[in-house]
Amino acid sequence: MTQELFYEDIHVGDDMPELVKGPLQKLQHVMYAGASGDFNPLHTDDDFARAVGMKNGVIAHGMLIMGFVGQAITGWVPKKYLKKFGVRFSGMTKPGSTISITGKVLDKRVENGENIIFCEVVARDENEDVKIIGHFEASLPNRD
Amino acid sequence: MADLSKVGTEYSPIIWEVERGKIRELAKAIGDPNPIYLDKEAAIAEGYKDTPAPPTFLVVPMMWCDKMPAIINDLKINFMMVLHGEEEYEYYQQIYPGDIITGTPRVINIEEKESKSGSKMDMVTLEVRYKNQMGEDVAKARSLIIERK
Repeated sequence: MTQELFYEDIHVGDDMPELVKGPLQKLQHVMYAGASGDFNPLHTDDDFARAVGMKNGVIAHGMLIMGFVGQAITGWVPKKYLKKFGVRFSGMTKPGSTISITGKVLDKRVENGENIIFCEVVARDENEDVKIIGHFEASLPNRD
Repeated sequence: MADLSKVGTEYSPIIWEVERGKIRELAKAIGDPNPIYLDKEAAIAEGYKDTPAPPTFLVVPMMWCDKMPAIINDLKINFMMVLHGEEEYEYYQQIYPGDIITGTPRVINIEEKESKSGSKMDMVTLEVRYKNQMGEDVAKARSLIIERK
């Protein structure tokens, strides 16, 4: 169960609990293709991927990695409080990678009667290569 | 080269009936064990009406309705050279099983940029506004699609 989270308990500079995913398997690309409907063979067919210039074969769907980041966020901030979530894809992810998702509270403010927290999230592989840099905003309740 | 005259183009809507099984399937594919996405009773216990759609669920209607390939084709972008640059969501309310959501895709911007290495890229920003069967705004999705040249 996601713990209830109150505006008063969040401070600028707080870390989001880290989430570690992987090592990624090609089977997960197949599952994600079916779930999302993105059947680009770049993610599931090594021969195709090599033919379009990926020397080591298939790469993960960027949206799968964004899904990991979404898991990290809504494992901490209840989904119902999430207002905005955006990412920039900055690197390709190969099978076998282990992805760590970390985050930090950058700002908190009361805006139009809402308690907004603004956070940065980053997904990196085991070599510290950044795959995603993103941000999210959530509107949290008061403790009383 | 993306067709610059297409800025402002609005495409026919994506219409998608949200199923509980599809929400569960996406959570399973991501490997997200959060019970709110998997179990209706657990979701209700945490204040939801049913299992809510996970944060990245809007990829599902976009891809399963074949809308993205159709738009890429209409913009005269080479599908083989496409990269997904950015993805951003604004959420106005939860999406639940049984909802029928209608998304209207629109081309917001097309611009040419030069990478650090000097190669040219077209950057296409696409926005989809989703409403539910009551006509209420549920979410907005914004995607930056990059065509390498």
